[in-house]
Amino acid sequence: MSMLEVDGLKTWLKSGGKQIKAVDDVSFTIQRGETFCLVGESGSGKSVTALSIIRLLPERIASHPGGAIHFDFRRRDGETERVDMLRLDEARLCQIRGLRIAMIFQEPMTSLNPVFTIAEQIIEALRLHNPEMPYAAARERALEALRQVQIKDAEAKLDDYPHRLSGGQRQRVMIAMAMACQPDLLIADEPTTALDVTVQAEILRLMKTLQKDRRMGILFITHDFGVVAQMADRVAVMRRGKIVEQGELDTLLASPRHDYTRALLDALPENLPRPDHPPPASENPYIEVRDIKVWFPVYKGVFRRHVSDIKAVDGVNLQIRRGEIVALVGESGCGKTTLGRAILQLIRPTAGDVRIAGDSIIGLNNRQLRPYRRRMQIIFQDPLSSLNPRLTIATTLIEPMAVHGIGESTEERIEIARQTLETVQLKGDHLWRYPHEFSGGQRQRIGIARALVLDPGFIVCDEVTSALDVSVQAEILQMLLQLRRDRQLALLFITHDIGVVEYISDRTLVMQQGRVVEQGDTAQVCGAPTQPYTQKLIAAVPRMPENVYRRAGACQ
Amino acid sequence: MLSYILRRLLLMIPTLLGITIVVFATMALSPGGITAQSLVDDFGMNPQEKAALEAYYNKRYGLDKPAPVQYLRWLNNVSPIGFEVSEEGTLGRFSWRKGIDLGESFLYGRPVSQILAERVPITLLLNVLTIPIIYLISIAVGVRAATDRGGRFDITSSIVMLALWSIPTMLTGVLLIGFFASEQYWHWFPPSGLSSLEAARMPFLPHWERFADVARLLGGMLAGFAAGAALAQWRNRTGRIIVAVLVGLLCATGMIDALPHEFSWVAWFWTALLLGGVFYATAGSDYPALRLVAFAFFGLCLGGALGAQWGASGFVRGFLLDRLWHLVLPVFCLAYGGFAFLARLTRSAVLENLQADYARTARAKGVPEKEVLWAHVFRNSLLPLITVFAALLPGLLGGSVIVETLFSIDGMGKLAVEAVKGRDREMVLSITLISGFLTLVGYLLADLLYAAADPRVSYD
Amino acid sequence: MTSLQKAENRHEGYAARLLRKTFSRWSARIGAAWIALLAVVAVFAPFLANSRPLWVSVGGHGYSPLLQGLTWADIGWLAAFFGALLLWSLPLRFGQRLLGLLAIILIASLIGKAALKPRTIEIYEQYREQAAQYDEVIYTLVPYSPRDYQRDRGDTGFQPPSREHWFGTEENGADTLSRMIHASRVALSIGFVATGIALVIGVFIGGLMGYFSGLFDIIGMRVVEIFEAIPTLFLLLTFVAFFGRNLYIMMVIIGLTSWTGYTRYLRAEFLKLRDQDYVQAARAAGLPLGSILFRHMLPNGVAPVLVGASFGVASAILAEATLSFLGLGLVDAPSWGQMLFQAVRFSSFNWWMAVFPGGAIFFTVFAYNLIGDALRDAIDPHLSTVEE
Repeated sequence: MSMLEVDGLKTWLKSGGKQIKAVDDVSFTIQRGETFCLVGESGSGKSVTALSIIRLLPERIASHPGGAIHFDFRRRDGETERVDMLRLDEARLCQIRGLRIAMIFQEPMTSLNPVFTIAEQIIEALRLHNPEMPYAAARERALEALRQVQIKDAEAKLDDYPHRLSGGQRQRVMIAMAMACQPDLLIADEPTTALDVTVQAEILRLMKTLQKDRRMGILFITHDFGVVAQMADRVAVMRRGKIVEQGELDTLLASPRHDYTRALLDALPENLPRPDHPPPASENPYIEVRDIKVWFPVYKGVFRRHVSDIKAVDGVNLQIRRGEIVALVGESGCGKTTLGRAILQLIRPTAGDVRIAGDSIIGLNNRQLRPYRRRMQIIFQDPLSSLNPRLTIATTLIEPMAVHGIGESTEERIEIARQTLETVQLKGDHLWRYPHEFSGGQRQRIGIARALVLDPGFIVCDEVTSALDVSVQAEILQMLLQLRRDRQLALLFITHDIGVVEYISDRTLVMQQGRVVEQGDTAQVCGAPTQPYTQKLIAAVPRMPENVYRRAGACQ
Repeated sequence: MLSYILRRLLLMIPTLLGITIVVFATMALSPGGITAQSLVDDFGMNPQEKAALEAYYNKRYGLDKPAPVQYLRWLNNVSPIGFEVSEEGTLGRFSWRKGIDLGESFLYGRPVSQILAERVPITLLLNVLTIPIIYLISIAVGVRAATDRGGRFDITSSIVMLALWSIPTMLTGVLLIGFFASEQYWHWFPPSGLSSLEAARMPFLPHWERFADVARLLGGMLAGFAAGAALAQWRNRTGRIIVAVLVGLLCATGMIDALPHEFSWVAWFWTALLLGGVFYATAGSDYPALRLVAFAFFGLCLGGALGAQWGASGFVRGFLLDRLWHLVLPVFCLAYGGFAFLARLTRSAVLENLQADYARTARAKGVPEKEVLWAHVFRNSLLPLITVFAALLPGLLGGSVIVETLFSIDGMGKLAVEAVKGRDREMVLSITLISGFLTLVGYLLADLLYAAADPRVSYD
Repeated sequence: MTSLQKAENRHEGYAARLLRKTFSRWSARIGAAWIALLAVVAVFAPFLANSRPLWVSVGGHGYSPLLQGLTWADIGWLAAFFGALLLWSLPLRFGQRLLGLLAIILIASLIGKAALKPRTIEIYEQYREQAAQYDEVIYTLVPYSPRDYQRDRGDTGFQPPSREHWFGTEENGADTLSRMIHASRVALSIGFVATGIALVIGVFIGGLMGYFSGLFDIIGMRVVEIFEAIPTLFLLLTFVAFFGRNLYIMMVIIGLTSWTGYTRYLRAEFLKLRDQDYVQAARAAGLPLGSILFRHMLPNGVAPVLVGASFGVASAILAEATLSFLGLGLVDAPSWGQMLFQAVRFSSFNWWMAVFPGGAIFFTVFAYNLIGDALRDAIDPHLSTVEE
């Protein structure tokens, strides 16, 4: 008998007066000691499934009109009882939660209570399920748990508050807290999505180790097939509340049966057809950056004196030619976003020189800068905040044109806007809609259209696909490549995703703590890195196995 | 942290300067300005006497100098470091330990510091009593409203709170005094002042003649309390409502009967409607804590009142009780307006925290919902309440103005009105300074408390 | 209207959506209904409560004493009402409508002031004394003017409500209901004008502080702190006591003492908005500063300010009432606060002077608070009582 058996689960959510079938007849099993991955894009219902298992969805929103979730509950008196999680009352659920089934979440920054110390929070979990345990013993167990998740200085960190720890450390604490009572099943809802890739690698390794030690089952929710390939024994693919395919990892990856699974695998950057890389338009760099520095002053003391600086960008050199795509990679806090904005003069650099087509744009005031602004644009990461919610798409696109004198009349500008929308594969009459009427992927296209409408030569793409589903990401990447070909665009592609880098860029720069540690052709930097940091970065990326399904005709 | 406090204290100085300049400028720029002229106009004197009085004022208070000079002189007087001033008003040496001289009031002819020393404690007393009441009730209502989101209590309480906020303080005061503290209707409370005339001669604690009286009183209170509590706990909702409404009607009848004029059916109708309505709503509520507190308290009061009815002969109120009795109405007037804002804030804070990620983690650990609320969410929700404490202070100091005027309580608020009406320059400036100072200190305290409560915040 | 505007009107913009959500709550509807009622009462006050009859016919010759007695202020109010109706039916932008309304009011008031004869002393008793001579007469609903002290009826003072005077009379003998009706003008105008002034100051300073930061922010925060540290009432008292008790001055003064809240809201919003991607995009496109501030940032940051404004109108009305109550209110114009003042000034408690004007204040303030509350929930539905 399997440890957890989900049988025909249905979860319906109330939202805005309507019922959404978030989970629609889902069935799977998890054995003791195995890792089961639930993969899917956003809105597929994977998180809701996980939350349904331990009934963490608020009662007034969620209802379970059908199905059952059977679980082997090892009671404290030693007996094992097979219960149906959906039919249990609150008191019994509280007995199971944390003790036999534990859950960790995606956002380590907000998942810990900021006003309690680490010790208090772990001890709470321990004493809740072991009420007779004395405080000193609980503290010892907490310390041990921290050591097991490989936190350095565990003794000191015990009495620290969560905000003092980094994201990776907090996620380790979450794992420690979840594992403190030695559960039979760990539900992990995208636990590494918000972490840097090197940290992710360590956390995944840690989870595998702990699982082996305790024969713990893991239900791992993710959208990243690379992670699936590393962690899973068995996989299920979800789409719109239903499981479209499930099976052993190797089988599913090598020969997926369902079209959707195949489409998902196809959309992975490593599986996309290799684009041809046309040579750049000219030898002269269009954008030239010399020794750029962006330092933020730190003020301390009674009189707020300038004591030191935060060196976000500390001496970077960069050249991009028209028709060239240069990738800027690094982990969070390395300064890549700051660099992108500094080139565009959205943040004034503290020192250094930036030239467009030979003209220096450092030290110009807003009026002088304006004609240059036409030539360099930016596309942002978050589709939700990149468009002004109060303006129609038409106004958003037309206003910059009017300011720079493109087009003779409003009618002409509307026409240009319409054509630009069609270039990004949206319909012309979408001009009259408001941003809230579009999906995330559509809004990203509108963001691209906004950048294109001024006909620039250089565009900074700041993590433009990081917030998108993998299928949408594939479309956007292909669109960008097309645009590069048609308009000879110079693109600075900022990202943390090595797979995307390998797919789209000609050259790559690797940044760490404000400096460039390695740069060169993408094939060389990603295939055979020379610097230790780059090597660590490339090695940490979760890869698909060699025999993974590839679309017929795709090249490596 | 120390450097932060130092910085804040230093920053207070320009703000205080700014406050006093604004107020001084208002006075100086007004038609009439701050001259002896405006002080002298009212009295019906002949021109010679007027001139003499003017000259006297000018010499004494320096009112003939131009406004900026007046301000600088005042500033010099007020600051502990400055030039010493002689009796005639000429400047002396510079001294580091001059001491603060707030001047003399035009209206009263006494030193301002003396007057303030009498009045400020009274206003502080009013406010210090009011603030905990506001906080307690608001938190209780806010937390319940958040956990009951969308339910009857939530919607009702938010409308009720909003309605309470909308009733102008003076209307409440006027109605309360008019109905509950006057000869024409129920004379349950004293209409004015903080103590009765005999209070000075009273012993501190209340005093009864016979032991039997005390027994009756305490017995009545206990019986009433128990009855109220029992009613609140009674499971049968319909039964509760019927009993409660009946009690309400009886009380209404009793109240109308106690009125000095003859029994009026119209009055009975309105009173019965009001009381019955309130009792109905309380009895029918599904918030057991509310029912318990309300009915037990009401039972206590009713039982005590009935018990005290018989054998009320040798009862001496005592200073303490007398003071409290006088404070009931003013504190109520001052407090009720603050509920809405704080309750709303508590509700938002609790709701936000209930939906927060860390609350979800706690639930996933197996913490029962009640404990999630009180152990985890509550502490985080208190943080915005601390910040708001600082903003409450100016509001309360202002609110006291109305209440003190209404109830003839000699506090700082009433003083402020008199000073402004009487164009008493020294008084106005001093009050501004004091209230400004108190407010800024309140802000600083709130920020420090916040830093103590929230470990994420550190001032460097 | 350009093709751009025509096409945009088909889809629901943010403002329209917000209004729809706000007024889908019944509490907001009740509030709006009361305020609409108040507005109608204020506009048509001389037609509702006037000692001058609406229509008089003597010896075959008919005329309207009421219409003859209208003042330029009455013309102004009527023009505002019909102007607003007219402008709302036209498809214009909000800013254009506002300017149009102001222009209409201004022109109408000027015409009224120029065209109408200056008023001589009103003798209200004449209409009652001559009543026997009239063939036909149509009175207004409440046949008393606010300043009709009924000298022909002897030494009347406070009188409780009766069939003659539905809400009783006040200390000089004037009818309470009539004074209340005319006082609604004061309440409405003070609310809007004072809040309008405070809004303009607050938004201007707060926006600049939020966008530019630096020295501007530091100085601005000190100024804000200064005004906040003085209890509002005290500041008001000082201003009013020293500057006089004219209606217009009071509006300005109330406005000058309540702008700090709006500044804080807008500054906080602007600080957040500055880092929003679409604002960065606007800067990257080289859009002029004015457009960034007024087209991109302000409309998105104005929501909490509007909520505050709704509560602010309520506070302004309360402030005027409080000032009147403390004896510093308007001298001759009738106002609700002033009537409340009379309720306790004398030894007897005249409950009708407290309950009715006090009730009017309460309902008006409550109405604005309900609307503000519903607006706040519409803007941030996460915390509302209605499940989204």
